[in-house]
Amino acid sequence: MQKYIWLVPLLPLIGAAINGLLGRKLRFSETIIGGIAVGSVALSFLISLTAVYSYGYGGHAEWPKPYLTSQDGFSFNWIPGGAVSINHGAEARNEAQAAAGHLTEKGPATTAESPRAALLNIEWSYQLDPLSSIFMLIVTGVGLCIFVFATGYMHGEAGFYRFFAYMGLFMFAMLVLVMGSNFLMMFVGWEGVGLCSYLLIGYYFDRQEAANASRKAFITNRVGDFGFALAIFGVIATFGTAQYTEVFEQAKSFPIELLGHWGILSWIALGLFVGACGKSAQLPLHVWLPDAMAGPTPVSALIHAATMVTAGLYMVTRTNVIFQHSQTMLLVVALVGAATAIFAATIGITQNDIKKVLAYSTVSQLGFMFVACGVGAFAIAIFHVMTHAFFKALMFLGAGSVIHGMHHEQDMRRMGGLKKYMPYTYWTFMAGWLAICGIIPFSGFWSKDEILWKSVETTYIPLGWLVWLIGTIAATCTAFYMTRLMAMTFWGKERFLEGAGGEADEAHASAYDKGLAKHDATHGSAGDRPRHDVGEHVGPVHEDVAHHVATHGHATQHDDHGHGAHIPHESPPSMWVPLAVLALLAIIGGFVGIGPAFRPITGSEHPGHRLHIVNWLNPIIWNPVTREFNPAEGAHETAPAETAHAEAPAAAESAHGSASAYGDVGFNLAHSVENSTHSELATEWIFIIISLVVAGIGMLLGGLFYVWRPELPNIWAQRLRPLYNASYNKYWVDEFYGLAVTRRTMDAARVVFGFDSKLVDGIVNGLAWLSRLFSRIVGGIDKYFVDGLVNTIAAFILRLMSPLFRAAQTGFTQNYALVMVLGLMLAVAAFFAKDIFTAVRAIIAAVF
Amino acid sequence: MTLSGYEALFFWIFGLAAIFAGLLTVMARNAVHSAMFLISSLVSVAALFVLARAEFIAGVQILVYVGGVMVLFLFVIMLVNVGAEERGRDEIFNNQRQVTASLIFCFLLVGGVLYSVNRGYSGLQALNQTPPDVLAAQQATRDQAYAKSATGSSKITNDSQSLGGSLYRYASLPFEIASVLLLVAIIGSVMLARTLRQEVSADDVDPEVLKDEIAREPELAKLEPRSE
Amino acid sequence: MLSFFNSTLALLFQEAERGRFEQMRHAAANPDLSKFLVIGALLFIIGVAGVLTRRNIIVIFMSIELILNAANLNFIAFSRYLSQAGSMNAVAGQIFAVFVIVVAAAEAAIGLGIVIALYRNKDTIWVDEIDLLKW
Repeated sequence: MQKYIWLVPLLPLIGAAINGLLGRKLRFSETIIGGIAVGSVALSFLISLTAVYSYGYGGHAEWPKPYLTSQDGFSFNWIPGGAVSINHGAEARNEAQAAAGHLTEKGPATTAESPRAALLNIEWSYQLDPLSSIFMLIVTGVGLCIFVFATGYMHGEAGFYRFFAYMGLFMFAMLVLVMGSNFLMMFVGWEGVGLCSYLLIGYYFDRQEAANASRKAFITNRVGDFGFALAIFGVIATFGTAQYTEVFEQAKSFPIELLGHWGILSWIALGLFVGACGKSAQLPLHVWLPDAMAGPTPVSALIHAATMVTAGLYMVTRTNVIFQHSQTMLLVVALVGAATAIFAATIGITQNDIKKVLAYSTVSQLGFMFVACGVGAFAIAIFHVMTHAFFKALMFLGAGSVIHGMHHEQDMRRMGGLKKYMPYTYWTFMAGWLAICGIIPFSGFWSKDEILWKSVETTYIPLGWLVWLIGTIAATCTAFYMTRLMAMTFWGKERFLEGAGGEADEAHASAYDKGLAKHDATHGSAGDRPRHDVGEHVGPVHEDVAHHVATHGHATQHDDHGHGAHIPHESPPSMWVPLAVLALLAIIGGFVGIGPAFRPITGSEHPGHRLHIVNWLNPIIWNPVTREFNPAEGAHETAPAETAHAEAPAAAESAHGSASAYGDVGFNLAHSVENSTHSELATEWIFIIISLVVAGIGMLLGGLFYVWRPELPNIWAQRLRPLYNASYNKYWVDEFYGLAVTRRTMDAARVVFGFDSKLVDGIVNGLAWLSRLFSRIVGGIDKYFVDGLVNTIAAFILRLMSPLFRAAQTGFTQNYALVMVLGLMLAVAAFFAKDIFTAVRAIIAAVF
Repeated sequence: MTLSGYEALFFWIFGLAAIFAGLLTVMARNAVHSAMFLISSLVSVAALFVLARAEFIAGVQILVYVGGVMVLFLFVIMLVNVGAEERGRDEIFNNQRQVTASLIFCFLLVGGVLYSVNRGYSGLQALNQTPPDVLAAQQATRDQAYAKSATGSSKITNDSQSLGGSLYRYASLPFEIASVLLLVAIIGSVMLARTLRQEVSADDVDPEVLKDEIAREPELAKLEPRSE
Repeated sequence: MLSFFNSTLALLFQEAERGRFEQMRHAAANPDLSKFLVIGALLFIIGVAGVLTRRNIIVIFMSIELILNAANLNFIAFSRYLSQAGSMNAVAGQIFAVFVIVVAAAEAAIGLGIVIALYRNKDTIWVDEIDLLKW
């Protein structure tokens, strides 16, 4: 079954092509479009499921080796190899490795040993290995839920076909990204998802806000892609190939670059990480993700929660060999991830738009994932990707359901008490909320807790304790703002019944400030809302005008605020069924990653053999101690009992063993706690308790501020006015970028434009002016000189000959007859010309 | 073909008469006088024809040329108001330049033609070396062979016979063409000489031209076209 | 110079053996082909002079008849000469003369018709007054 995985990206592409090219032309109904889209993704999911199953558990299971479709499936020679052989730095590599004592039997690739590596040959083939299998399932599975949700959410849209065409295209690009067998295919998918993100964020292309957001997303992505491209160049130059298997085989034997030593692999890792920052919205390049909420909610769920933003994580985990060779980069990744986590979490506290809160939450959680990568726990990072996909997609879809039920109201200040109007949405959202707060046994707990544990006990980088501390604080903030979201949306007073006025609506708020009528909008609507123009009457949207008229007796303009509000309604099944599925996954999805702290209960560090995510991903994680990829969980499988006993010393050994890979990394909080408790298990549980407690603190604070004492937020906002402003204005990052980057670029553009229009166009225009001048001169010459000459000559001839010839036209017939006689005489004379000559000569001779 | 005896005498008489008459034709003031002189010139030339043993042509000349063409000339002279010429001393010769030039060229032409005749004749002369009296005797012998005329005073030559035979045997096509030519000439001359009234009666005028003519002469409108 | 005249007048002499006067007397007593041709030539010239110099259009036509007559004389003279010289086609000259007379007659008819039409339109017979083609 593995050999059919090439169908997995192809089916959504075909669906997208059919929808995109024929959807409007043949006027497909929504059912058909939705059917094609959902069907293609469902088929892809089924194929991936069976393929992954047969890869991991089937009769011909190939796990842990990666399966490439070039073996017996579909692949083709994409970029045929030239005569270029790249052996750049082969000798240098050899020397370095000999010096570091890491020279293994598998030396650097030369032409003799692996000829394929020397000639640059890129093929298009798909790779099914532990990492890509997880991502395949996530993308197609969560994607399927979201597609189903979208058929309900986008109902009635004119561009229904376009939406699903873009979504299908996105699925194709994402699947190529995760299933590709070489860096170039990943790059193709990378760019593809960037493009689809642009297309989908800008789905409502007639809204200025959406157009701006899509442009911002694409350009910010592009900045990241630049770094990624440089990294790919570095990979090809260093290893001579772009195929993962070959690159990582070669990279294994490179020396590890410790902190402070910056080598080629650090450069490559830097480039890769820049790309990851752009795609996964890490700190300097995070600005596009909140603005991307201008797109439809299913887009936000799929792209900006579950899949596209996790592409950076995929890439870092895929190239973990390279990252683990550079301690500096690991530190950078961890610190950037941690900074992003706390940064975004603090912003999320003050946001009022439900989607923005979720967006900042996503940025923050992505920071967590990068923290996991930075401390060396790549498998945990992927685990968190998986659980985050479940609960974040769930919450986005839930928010979409809320928005849909509230008739496209997105401001949380105008929601409240929705739990009795939208029960399905409420209960499923609650599952997501509990998961993200990290409450046992929901999925979020398992992954987030493991990340925090790994960061505190890491021996890969220094400052692990700092990373842990920042992460914990970010987790507290996460719990706080998610509770806030729950409270403002689902619990408490039903604020939407109060009608317009005050600061309930952004449009109203600024209108109130400007002194306009309370109902009039000052700027166009944002996000998913139905469009309203500046000056247009706004107010709570009524279910129908007739109802409004019946209630008030007039259709349009009204001054009172006491009109009846609309009632939010539950979403149709096409929308809450995916929510339920995702809620189920959010609840039980964490059990594939039960941490080692539970080994007294489960009996092994990573229970479930291959079903455990750490075991499953082990073969692709490189171990800096053994300098090889981790073995399959065979070692654990054979004798779980012995390993349970051997755990403690072995774990201590491995902990100390990995310390030898990176040298002494300084203070390690976990080790110091362990030294005092003399039990690793106890240490682990201490930190678990700490994270649960802080999550609880966050939730309680959230409940306090927004459920029991709702006046507290304003008080504290006043007290911490500067902090509040900084958070509310997103730390003015966008304004800074605008000033430093955007405006400077536009200034440069204006200079260049001036140069072009004045100099270049000036030259061209000058040439044109010169030609015109020249032509005028030539025309003058022609008109006056040449024509004058011709006219003069003609006139001269005319004046000369005309009277002459005219004189011959006497009209007198006898003149003509005379001329005839003359002609006759001449003819006769010509006949006797010779004789006449002789006679004339004789006469002359006789005379003279 | 040397002529001798009486033939020579008559040759000179008629030859000089022809030239003289021709000169007078050209120089006569009155057109009718010119016609008369021309007639006499033509008759003289006819006589010369006889001397050259071309009796038939001589007869044709008298009958057709003198009897037909000159009579026609006289008719036309009468038609075109010859009286105008008799009244005044109208100039009969053209302007001086034309006349001078013509005379110069004519003299030159004389010289040239005579010169050419001479040049050609020397060649012809070489062919014929028999002395004239011998030729005359030969001619006389041939003349005796002819049949006698009715009156017995002269012989009837076979010139007409030979001419007719050759004409109808070897020149029949030109003969027919000539007859067609004469037919065309008749029709043409009739058409050319019609008056406007005759044309109107025959309904042979272009309608626009007719309108113009009627505008000038209203009586034309009254003429009925002859219905055929 | 004299030789030119000699050539011109030589035909009058007809025979080279005798002296000049004798020759002249002989020539006069036995007029030959040359004399016919000379008469024809002179008539021709007179006719041409008449065509070119006279104002009266009828007289011009009559001069044209003179020219044609001269040509006829030429034809007949040669016909006679050649028959005497023994040529088989000597009668061709007379045939030519017949056709010349035919054509002359036709031409005279047409021409006089034109003269009449011209007189009707222009009311004049003076040729120098008919100069519509003048520039």
